Amino acid sequence: MADKRDMVQIEALEKYFGEDKERVHVLKGVSLNIPEGSLYTFLGPSGCGKTTTLRCVAGLERPDGGRISIGGHTVFAFGERVYVPTNKRPIGMVFQSYAIWPHMTVAENVAYPLTIQRRSKAEIRQRVGNVLKVVGLDGLEDRPAPKLSGGQQQRVAFARALINEPKVMLLDEPLSNLDARLRVQMRSEIKALQRRTSITTIFVTHDQAEALAISDQIAVMHGGKLIEIGSPHQLYNRPKRRFTATFLGLTNLIDGKVLEVDGDSRPGKMQTKKGILSFIPAPGLKKDQAAVISIRPENIPVHKEKPQSLDNVVEGTVKEAIFMGDAYHCKIAVGDDLLAVHTHPFNAISPGDKVYLHLDPKSCNGLPAEDTEGVDESILGD
Amino acid sequence: MRRFNSQALILVGAILFVLYLAGVPLVMLLYGSIRSAPIGEPGAAYTIQNYVKAYFEKEFYFLLLNSIYFGIGTCTLTFLIGTFLAWVSERTNTPFKKLFVVMSLIPFIIPGILSTIAWILLLSPKIGLINIVVKGLLGLESAPFNIYSMWGMIWAEAIHLYPLVFLLMSAAFRNMDTSLEEAALTAGSSTFATFWRITLPLMRPAMFSVLLINFIRGIEAFEVPALIGVPAKISVFTTKIFLAIHQFPSDFGLAGAYAVTLLVISTTGVLIYGRITRREERYATVTGKGYRPRVIDLGVWKYATLAVSFAIFFLAVILPVFVLLWSSFIPYYGVPSRELMDKMTWANYHYILNYPLALTAFKNSFYLSVGSATLVMLLTSIIAWVTVKTKLPGRALLDNMTFVPIAMPGIVLGVSLIWVYLTLPIPIYGTIWVLLLAYITKFMPYGIRAASASMIQINKELEEASLTAGGTWFQTFRKVILPLLMPGFTAGWIYISIIALRELSTSILLYSYNSTVLSIMAFDLWEGGQYTYVCALGVLMVLLLIAMAFAARKLGARLGIAN
Ligand SMILES: Nc1ncnc2c1ncn2[C@@H]1O[C@H](COP(=O)(O)OP(=O)(O)OP(=O)(O)O)[C@@H](O)[C@H]1O
Ligand SMILES: [Mg+2]
Repeated sequence: MADKRDMVQIEALEKYFGEDKERVHVLKGVSLNIPEGSLYTFLGPSGCGKTTTLRCVAGLERPDGGRISIGGHTVFAFGERVYVPTNKRPIGMVFQSYAIWPHMTVAENVAYPLTIQRRSKAEIRQRVGNVLKVVGLDGLEDRPAPKLSGGQQQRVAFARALINEPKVMLLDEPLSNLDARLRVQMRSEIKALQRRTSITTIFVTHDQAEALAISDQIAVMHGGKLIEIGSPHQLYNRPKRRFTATFLGLTNLIDGKVLEVDGDSRPGKMQTKKGILSFIPAPGLKKDQAAVISIRPENIPVHKEKPQSLDNVVEGTVKEAIFMGDAYHCKIAVGDDLLAVHTHPFNAISPGDKVYLHLDPKSCNGLPAEDTEGVDESILGD
Repeated sequence: MRRFNSQALILVGAILFVLYLAGVPLVMLLYGSIRSAPIGEPGAAYTIQNYVKAYFEKEFYFLLLNSIYFGIGTCTLTFLIGTFLAWVSERTNTPFKKLFVVMSLIPFIIPGILSTIAWILLLSPKIGLINIVVKGLLGLESAPFNIYSMWGMIWAEAIHLYPLVFLLMSAAFRNMDTSLEEAALTAGSSTFATFWRITLPLMRPAMFSVLLINFIRGIEAFEVPALIGVPAKISVFTTKIFLAIHQFPSDFGLAGAYAVTLLVISTTGVLIYGRITRREERYATVTGKGYRPRVIDLGVWKYATLAVSFAIFFLAVILPVFVLLWSSFIPYYGVPSRELMDKMTWANYHYILNYPLALTAFKNSFYLSVGSATLVMLLTSIIAWVTVKTKLPGRALLDNMTFVPIAMPGIVLGVSLIWVYLTLPIPIYGTIWVLLLAYITKFMPYGIRAASASMIQINKELEEASLTAGGTWFQTFRKVILPLLMPGFTAGWIYISIIALRELSTSILLYSYNSTVLSIMAFDLWEGGQYTYVCALGVLMVLLLIAMAFAARKLGARLGIAN
């Protein structure tokens, strides 16, 4: 599994917090490999252990089991009692609060990693100048750090993390303290910066839109476990787990039982309350297994007349149609269920209309219904 | 319209009252220090003679040096003890650290005069328990420790004052965003470099303000200089002022000149302190939700920190309490032994309870403590309401004036009030009323702090919800504001009643036979050499304090929840 080109390797990471009765199991055997030069995102709901995993990589937290290596060097191994302290790891980190030292100027903050190594004044000045140019802060060298705006503080934090040319950049929700507009702008800047420097970057967020927009790879986490890893495209369009489908964007779930399945490349058939539907099965789905079909609202074409030549067509009544500008967001009653459907804005639709929904088999992902492995039950409730 | 008028009326009334409490003594002190003769005497004129007499004496500079020496020693030692304990309890994995807060708060309950007495009983070269025991154990010729020295004074003061440092530094450690340190670690600096370049500079404003506040408290201190410094012939400003008034004939002018000097020093300190803490607030950085406490795993060293911490608590709490208790049960002072143990008796308590003045003192202290705490909290609640909840012009002035007495050392306030009530035609000098006014003045700043802190927490909408539900303003105040204020009010009340009950430095200049209070009685018994009686009185005082704090908590909880 381990590949030479993997910059960070995490194996069976375990972490507990608290003592005695208050002891909680926060990381439950997390394993993943982060390819060199990629922008890799940890995504999951609040409290799922993203930050903890990141801090274990940084050495700020000492895991209770497992192994971590960076660039082929083991930095932590539980069994062998290997633990490389934070300051000896080839990392740069941007904190959620930015952690800009208020008693230093911009230049002093950024130069810190070099000052620690006792580099020459001239070298420091030059490299600080360069890195500030990269993050777009040239000219602000002598500004006291507290007198910066949120966006500027964040750039300083980036510059400070970058200046030492780390092998791995660790970003813990770096955008969450910015306002919405700036967040989108910084998001593309981070991506561009990462492309340019091709430093392996781990990005932690609980915002799925952010994760989809920025990442090469996403690791979806929940309740201290890894749920699924994949590219944004894969995870959004072909999730393998029910949690991934519901956590990333909006989706409709239709319960059923698998009637026919033949590998995961050919469509299967499922018995649902809406009739027999074809779907693309997730790997490992078996005949007679309880399953769900997940289909995104934007992948459901709406027809006023019953299309004769198509499979997977169901009949429904429009209950609600809200014009959003770029689409109509509709709630359509099919049997006892309400399906969310987004239609083209030219396609005028109003409550009470009788419509036919084409649940295109290519967009129907058949997923195991019982998906409690690593998933906190309470989240599955809705 | 009527609402506005009643608000304005409250504001004007409060301003006048606070002005009277805080402003008049200041003016009278300055006035008195430039008069040639005591007030009321014919032929008094304006003069700078008092200052000339004060400043051109060589003794003045000894006083200044001693005061500064004592202040610096006290603030350094309290700082070391308090910061160490705060660091251990906030930043390390030392076992039992949850107990630290309780242990650190106990010295608050022990009045300064009692703790001073306890340390004399422990470290006096002749009768000090520790000296006798160590001498016996090591076979020494002379006593190893001498409390009657500058170092003895500093020790006795510091071991009593460190809880404040502990609380302030704990807060400073707690409020520091630890990702600032973690950022340094990820930037490649070692734990030590991180401490040196990041932690220390960030804590510097907090540390400096803590040092400063303890320096001021050291300079203002009265109990230790009076009980230890005077016999040791080490004079500081506070004792000099006291002696200038207690000599015969009293030299009010000279006392005034010294008091003004001390006031200038402490006011300067308070002003600098205010500036630093304001800057500190600006220094505060955004702590996002990424905040978590960073606890250092000390490994086996955690037993060392545990041992040192408990050694400190042993010295600060257990030893003094033990020596007071022990001495209160024995007929004459001595080292615990079989023989003395057999002689243990209730006689000291009998004596105190039958002492003619004791009942008066208990009553006065109780009334003063309960009365001043209640009045201060009522007054400052109104002031806090004006300053926090209204937009009336003049509210900032009111807030500042309420704070003025914080810069007045107790003995200076005493001198000022002598001048006020010897001059003004208000015949309360020598009565319990002048003490009550003095206490209210002195404790107003603490009250306003507690009251505005809890007033700020009460969201305007909570009030408005009650008004829209049809409640009148008065009902709203009683059913909504008051219960919400209650926890802060109770905390302030307890604190003030405790410090009022042990107040000595102001009372000692203002009391008369009929208005004696417990701390004065303890002082007089001690001066009379009746050590065991003082200890019995002290134990009773502490019990009274505990009972009052307990009752206040119970009552506060009932009022706060039941309504
Ligand atoms: N120092 C700590 N002591 C005790 N519990 C902790 C500590 N740090 C984290 N936890 C717990 O561990 C779990 C995982 O925390 P973590 O910070 O990794 O979550 P996260 O995925 O980063 O969440 P968020 O999106 O809210 O930042 C949470 O339940 C949290 O309460
Ligand atoms: Mg987090």
